[in-house]
Amino acid sequence: MYLQQFQYESPETVGDLSLLLSKYKERARILAGGTDIIPNMLNKLYKAGYLIDISGIKTLSGIEYKKGKGLTIGAATKLDDIEYSDLIKDKYFALYQSVKEVGSPQIRAMATLGGNTCNASPAADTPPALVALGAGVVIVSRKGRREMLLEDFILGNRVTDLKPDEYLESFQIPDVQPGSAGRFGLITLRKAVEIDIASIAVNLAIDPKTKKTEDIKIVLGSVAPVPLRVKKAESILIGQKPDDAIIEKAAKECADESKPIDDIRASAAYRRHVVSVLAKRTLNETINAVK
Amino acid sequence: MKKIIKLNVNDIDYEIAVDHHALLIDVIRNSLRLTGTKKSCGEGDCCSCTVLIDNKPVLSCITLAAACEGKKITTIEGMENKDGTLHPIQQAFIDKGAVQCGFCTPGMVLATKALLDRNPNPTRDEIKKGLSGNLCRCTGYIKISDAVEHAAKLLQTR
Amino acid sequence: MTEENRQFSIIGKSVPRVNGADKVRGRTQFTDDISLPGMIYGKIKPADITHGRIKKIDTSKAEKLPGVFAIITGEDTPIPYNIAFHLPTETPLAGDKVRYYGEGVAAVAAIDEESAEKALDLIKIEYEELPYVLGPLESMSQDKVRIHDEFENNVHLNGEQNFGDVAGAFKNSHFVLKDKFSTNGVNHGFLEPHTAIADYNPDTKKLTLHNCIQLPNTTQRILSDVLEMPLNDIRVKVPHVGGGFGGKTEVTPSAIVACVLSKKTGRPVKITSTRNEVFILGKGRHPSCVEIEMGFTKDGIITGVDLDYIIDGGAHTSWGLVIMWFSAALVHLPYKVENVHFKGRRILTNKPTFGAQRGVGAVQVRVPIECIIDEAGKKLGISPMELRLRNAVESGYEAKAAVTVRHSEFKKCLEAVRDKSGFNEKFGKLPFGRGIGLAAGHYSTGGAYLLFRSYRPHSTANVRIDAEAGVTVFTGITDIGQGALTVVRQMAAEVFGLDVNDINLFCQDTTMCPFDNGTYDSRVTYGVGHAVKRACNEAKEKLLQFTAIGMGIAKHHLECGNRTIYSIYDPRKKIDFFDAITRYHSSVGSLFGTGEYTPPQPKANYEGNLIGPSPAFGFTVQAIEIEVDTDTGHIKILNHYEAGDCGKALNPMSVEGQVEGGICMGIGQSLYEDVIINEDGMMINPNFHSYLIPGPLDMPEIESEIVESYDPTSAFGSKEIGEGPLCPVPPALMNAVSDAIGVRIKELPLTPEKVLKALGKI
Repeated sequence: MYLQQFQYESPETVGDLSLLLSKYKERARILAGGTDIIPNMLNKLYKAGYLIDISGIKTLSGIEYKKGKGLTIGAATKLDDIEYSDLIKDKYFALYQSVKEVGSPQIRAMATLGGNTCNASPAADTPPALVALGAGVVIVSRKGRREMLLEDFILGNRVTDLKPDEYLESFQIPDVQPGSAGRFGLITLRKAVEIDIASIAVNLAIDPKTKKTEDIKIVLGSVAPVPLRVKKAESILIGQKPDDAIIEKAAKECADESKPIDDIRASAAYRRHVVSVLAKRTLNETINAVK
Repeated sequence: MKKIIKLNVNDIDYEIAVDHHALLIDVIRNSLRLTGTKKSCGEGDCCSCTVLIDNKPVLSCITLAAACEGKKITTIEGMENKDGTLHPIQQAFIDKGAVQCGFCTPGMVLATKALLDRNPNPTRDEIKKGLSGNLCRCTGYIKISDAVEHAAKLLQTR
Repeated sequence: MTEENRQFSIIGKSVPRVNGADKVRGRTQFTDDISLPGMIYGKIKPADITHGRIKKIDTSKAEKLPGVFAIITGEDTPIPYNIAFHLPTETPLAGDKVRYYGEGVAAVAAIDEESAEKALDLIKIEYEELPYVLGPLESMSQDKVRIHDEFENNVHLNGEQNFGDVAGAFKNSHFVLKDKFSTNGVNHGFLEPHTAIADYNPDTKKLTLHNCIQLPNTTQRILSDVLEMPLNDIRVKVPHVGGGFGGKTEVTPSAIVACVLSKKTGRPVKITSTRNEVFILGKGRHPSCVEIEMGFTKDGIITGVDLDYIIDGGAHTSWGLVIMWFSAALVHLPYKVENVHFKGRRILTNKPTFGAQRGVGAVQVRVPIECIIDEAGKKLGISPMELRLRNAVESGYEAKAAVTVRHSEFKKCLEAVRDKSGFNEKFGKLPFGRGIGLAAGHYSTGGAYLLFRSYRPHSTANVRIDAEAGVTVFTGITDIGQGALTVVRQMAAEVFGLDVNDINLFCQDTTMCPFDNGTYDSRVTYGVGHAVKRACNEAKEKLLQFTAIGMGIAKHHLECGNRTIYSIYDPRKKIDFFDAITRYHSSVGSLFGTGEYTPPQPKANYEGNLIGPSPAFGFTVQAIEIEVDTDTGHIKILNHYEAGDCGKALNPMSVEGQVEGGICMGIGQSLYEDVIINEDGMMINPNFHSYLIPGPLDMPEIESEIVESYDPTSAFGSKEIGEGPLCPVPPALMNAVSDAIGVRIKELPLTPEKVLKALGKI
């Protein structure tokens, strides 16, 4: 298997990156870790005249946390740098869990957080966690920068709002609220290096006095073209004490809101069933994690 | 289209011209004649092609050679001790029966190196997670886990 | 001293692999690691239709591409072949007709793989598409779609065996159980893709093929047929093989194509398959659909078995003949069955061909038999363990099909698993969602006949001993990863009282080494063991006779050991082994020994009688304890217990490796693996991210045990180990699921989805 020919570019600054993108536009593709784009190009699923490698741009990777402001993760940050960040494991456990589920240690040493989002695979692990954490994305081109919520950025199966002359600069994740916790769960056939049958990320805050759910985001993966916020299910829990009956009801609602398809891994019916199981388990896990 | 790149492979510096679209594995196997790196699936699913780049385990079958400018690469041929004897991980794989056909072995050994560099004393579960992407069809993995446990001990007493 | 009680010096020791250092250094030479001077590269163009006539192939554009040396089509490869030399249908490139999606239709040789790949895209093919059939039941019940003209209703094989009186036995049974099971098509999944380098010399008109293949001599024979070349003008050399599991038994289309391209260009041609090609052309295990009827007395004694057995062969004949009759033979063991009726059919479909995979024919038979025994136990109120013990074969048992079990420790295996797993305390008594399942199996240690009918010995070994070559053994075996290179050295070292590293071994070369039937059917340590031992003993006799004179000691007082030849009555009287060799060589010349082995021939005459009889059988018993997530359907293996009778374990560490590896492959077939063909006839999972073989996290720890055993008919007491342990895994897991959730799933693989369906949750 061979790659079709292309021109390889490796800008060292974001300025050069913008310049190259504005020059080559649709003919260019951004190469970050390459763990998705290279196999797809080997299988002739798509081609590019120019591959612009962003791994040499130092300002695009890094993890920075500011109390009150939250977390900034550069788009080209390697997944294993996130996996081994004590800060992220401590404060953003759902993100840590989702990163750990991506491929193998080798894949995580290569792949980037931005790549996992920009591929916009419906089965990607990190986008549901990031959406549940309320992540925003910063998008940059020569014309300027814009910010939007990640949940608005991913538009469909392998489609994002990124324009040909733009690149994803970073993820902005709000600071952790007191009384909150996040968890990620998934269903696969094999235990590792797997494409998920279904996944879920939950982030919620519980009022320490009233014990009622104050804030919640539930996001499903692999059961819709995009990371799917199940807002009806969220509304069942909001303002309520999350007892077994409410959780059961919300979990069922998650299944109802999911839009799964039949594929080689599982039928839509199976997916819908396990979404509610997964939702119930992950909701309970998240609630128990609230300190 | 060619690009001239500098590589350090197994402590030897190279300056070679590679096609922009050339894969690292093909450059390692064909240009550098280091055939210990194995291509099995060719699309990043089995980890047989694992090499270390700046001490991290990387899949050479889905890495562009052009993207390795200035990198320090270790292939299986560079695993041995400085004096040419077998590295304790290599010795442990032989002694514990972790080698059968040997096709996954180079990738397995390098992934083990990366694992033990990060976690010198892994539990059995951590070993399996650290090698979770390295497929082997011969051994059933038990003797590979045994070998990694043994290697960890050898390295600690070294 | 009987053989059985003999103290071995190196047999029975866990000797690490002699080529281990090369393998961990990446220095081992696999076929794809070889480059020859002037070598060019070949690629094969796959058909993108499922069934149709080839109307026109236009290669004109491809020929003009710079770097292209030659292009061939089916017209260049007209002679069909079959691995069992029976009803050949397959040509390396499709002739007039394409019969499955992905079948090769043209091939290119070019300066590099990239150019060859580009040239393939420039070859244009016009087809007249034909309707196709994908399911075996559909295929045999119609005749509008005829895949090969010579097979009516696409029935490749239709045969029957009848032993005793099944109908009568069923009449006299306490009850007869009837059920239907189906097993999945799976792929070998070896890590090293097929590679062939053909090197034809236009001047000498001789051909050398470097090829990762399990059966070099059979490959040579097939090449001779299809290339119309004298056998002895062809040399097959086998570099190190990166796993075989049956998938490197058949000569691949790529190997023949490489030869034709090399003949055409006069240059060495290398073809390395992609993973996709390995899946589509690799011929894995046949899917099956088996209806079983089995009668029992009220004491649980099996009265008879009636098997209606259908396997899906895909597009070509392949190993079909051997697999079908081997399945028939496997019904007769490891339980005593007086009455057996077997009706078998192998049906052709427009799918990639199915062939031989580790545990040939066994999974398809073990599943129905082991599941039905459990059901019978339930009905009788007898533990499945007890039921198996009551029916277990013992040494000396002669099955109705004239299959003789000369040695068996099967009962010991059952008892060992019973005791360590606590099976009787757990079965039927674990809480809902937890279960334990039992299954057993056996496997042959080499068959009775050669693939191409001939009376020659199945194995020959030669040994040459002299100052220049040391002790050098020549055999025709292939090490496919199982460790034959180490174990054969152990055998020779044992005879001569030497160290493993004192023995040189030449094999995997049809010109340098004597004929061998090849590495399949778990025959190597037994058959080659006999040949090597005989060769070494012959040389040893001569050496001792000579040395006795020099030492002034009677020959029968001398023995080899500790790298010396010594007097057994006065061990101080000794001579260094290699000094003895030098003396022998200086005065007599090189020392040679030769030995051969031919297995006992079939004793009865019935259809399929050649396939099944074996000089020895290995046995394995397994109990698997599982936990089913009854909400998601996932099966988690908690404990896996195994006990096996492989005769004398020549190298216990290697035996464990075979058991663990076999079980891992069995777990893959049971839980994850499935060759999936879509309604268009395309395999939709020909890669390691959709076809899921178990990874490190999927494999439980195994409590395996090598039961004390010694087969006196074997050169060093050993029997089969490489294939048997895989086969009981699927039925054991099926039985465990039944115990855990109270519902029996009768189809593999046991996906979470099927479990939830069985539970009525989806």
